[in-house]
Amino acid sequence: MLKCKICSKEAVDKGYCRLHEKAHRNLMDKFEMWKEALDLSWKDYLNEIVKNPLTGTKAKEVAETLLSENQ
Amino acid sequence: MEKYTLIVAEKPVSAERIAKALDKKNKPKKHKERSVPYFVAERDRKIIVVSALGHLYTVTQGKGRKTCYPVFDFKWSPRYLVEKGSQYTKIWIETISKLALNADVFIDACDYDIEGSLIGYSILNYACDKTDVAKRMKYSTLTKAELEQAYLHPSPTLDFNLINAGKTRHEIDWLYGINLSRALTYAIKRASGRYATLSTGRVQGPTLRFLVLRENSIACFIPTPYWTIKALVELLGEFYEAEYEKKPIENKTEADKIVEVCKGKTSKVTKIEEKTYRQHPPVPFDLGNLQSEAYHLFGFNPRRTTNLAERLYLDALISYPRTSSQKLPPTINYKSILDGLSRNLTYQKLVSELLRSEKLKPKEGEKEDPAHPAIYPTGNMPERKLTTSEQKLWDLIVRCFMAVFGEPATKQIIKAEIDVNGYRFFLSGRKILREGWIRFYKPYFRSDEVLLPDIKEGEKVRVEKVIREDKFTKPPPRYNPSSLLKKMEKEGIGTKATRADIIQTLYDRKYVTEENIKVTELGQDVTEILQKHAPTIVSVKLTQELEEKMQRIQKNEEKRENVLAEAINCLKPVLEELESQEKIIGQALSEALRQSKLQERIIGDCPTCETGKLVIIRSRKTGKRFVGCTNYFHSRCKTSFPLPQHGIVKPTGRICPVCGWPTVIVFKRGKRPWRLCLNSACPKKEERKKIVEM
Repeated sequence: MLKCKICSKEAVDKGYCRLHEKAHRNLMDKFEMWKEALDLSWKDYLNEIVKNPLTGTKAKEVAETLLSENQ
Repeated sequence: MEKYTLIVAEKPVSAERIAKALDKKNKPKKHKERSVPYFVAERDRKIIVVSALGHLYTVTQGKGRKTCYPVFDFKWSPRYLVEKGSQYTKIWIETISKLALNADVFIDACDYDIEGSLIGYSILNYACDKTDVAKRMKYSTLTKAELEQAYLHPSPTLDFNLINAGKTRHEIDWLYGINLSRALTYAIKRASGRYATLSTGRVQGPTLRFLVLRENSIACFIPTPYWTIKALVELLGEFYEAEYEKKPIENKTEADKIVEVCKGKTSKVTKIEEKTYRQHPPVPFDLGNLQSEAYHLFGFNPRRTTNLAERLYLDALISYPRTSSQKLPPTINYKSILDGLSRNLTYQKLVSELLRSEKLKPKEGEKEDPAHPAIYPTGNMPERKLTTSEQKLWDLIVRCFMAVFGEPATKQIIKAEIDVNGYRFFLSGRKILREGWIRFYKPYFRSDEVLLPDIKEGEKVRVEKVIREDKFTKPPPRYNPSSLLKKMEKEGIGTKATRADIIQTLYDRKYVTEENIKVTELGQDVTEILQKHAPTIVSVKLTQELEEKMQRIQKNEEKRENVLAEAINCLKPVLEELESQEKIIGQALSEALRQSKLQERIIGDCPTCETGKLVIIRSRKTGKRFVGCTNYFHSRCKTSFPLPQHGIVKPTGRICPVCGWPTVIVFKRGKRPWRLCLNSACPKKEERKKIVEM
């Protein structure tokens, strides 16, 4: 069984479990809106998402993982 | 021996009220048989009123071992044989049986709804064996006049449609509850060797799923930025905030451009629009609306509101509260209720205003209940001093009752268009022109008035400043007990009598926490596992279908045997699937329980390594408890703190307001609980030391 790279639950797609995959999808979908609004790079966008207190916990975990993978 | 009429009421308080109302001198004699009270009233003949104590009989397993599932064989048994803490109900049943021996007329006077009818039926069936001759008293208030009418004109038979619907509901809920809960519990036992009670049910499962879906939306939420622009304008020496017409602005550069262009410019009022509209009175309270209003106004959770309303009903101050009706029929006699209320000085003036109107016609809602009208005050005054909460709820019900007879309120909306260098801003005001029904409901009316000065078109306005507001979209709100109850009602799951209890069960099982409901990891995992292996159990559809069928039994359009057979047929394949996947489910649930127990012990983030969590640990060597970092097990952090060895220690989930370190709360017998900061060098502790030394 493939495990989610964040929470070790069963992975369903892209190395994420069902919930983290949903958060990942949301993260990808909303990037265009942020780019339009603030003209941000992908990395800056992820940093903003991590900092924002309204970001959901799963979405924050995905953004942190993507940032650490980038480094 | 003289024969008598035996009346069975639902609770001792209602038994006393009924006896008092029926006794010709309003002074029935109170007797006790082995501490069970009953009342003797004298009328045209002797009447004995005895009460149940809620359900005295319940569904239990028929044949078979009590440690296995599936179980489809059940029977109705006295509660004292089934539930450990119900021994006291034995003498209750024996007393009723004894009193039944010399009675020749039997009347069921329990509350007129499914539960009440079932309580009365069970007693008359199992304790008296008189269901074939028993009559039914039907009433909505415990006032003397209504009780006398109900006694003089009872239904000649018991209401078997309600009874059958009630019996079926209890049996189906028992079948689902016992089988599913046993399936989960035994799966854990077989996977980990440990015994842990986990429960789910026909209504509990879908309700928890609503919460999980909302929790997931919040957890996966990504906020998006947007901007709004406000202009602070001066009108007749006062400052007002006018809003820019486009809301939201989705691009920061665009927002900055508008601010830049409008800054320091003169402006003028280009248009003023006034609209007048009528706001109709509220509709009378059904239980759901009362629970919702009491939650918003007083912070009472739905269960508390139900209990308070029940007490007011037993005191004959309000009508039967477990109703879904929003109608007030003229038969309740509006005038006599208002006359009664006018004896209270607070309501006197308002009542006389209502009585001056030519015709009393209440504003009604659409919902109906065949058994009871909406909740209304009886017009009686309290015979005892009400508690603050009871007083609040009674006042709310009285004021709503008066408000429904009020005239519509007239309100005005004023919208002023202000041109700032070619950009349109709007200033909005709201004013009540005529109070109407609001006068009666005033302390509870949530006013949204914004008064604007007298401005005219073409008037010049000074712009003090133009502000860009940076905003983000917000995640969907969490459910609270009140909004969850509304959701259950909207989806048609549970009944008005059971919804509040189901929400409480979710808290008791530790599936959810906090006032703004958060689903725990355990709640998440149980739902996820059921969703995967038994999706029908957490689906709203199955519960909705069963609810509809039970409604049809109530209307005598469906046979209870068919509904029961159908419910069992739905349950069988689910249980087979759960049994075949027992090992996987057991492992997943054991892990969820382990995580949940760990979560309960987590105090907060480790202030030393900043990546580990501080947890309460008990040393295997010394048996002493202390706080340690989870990274200790990976040899990365050795942070530890001592803890008091006596009493109960629990995490608070809060940090120390002085030093920011995690805190725990310590409960010791005979002492007030105290909050303890883990930081031994916390300035607050130093301060206290100095005070003690002084």
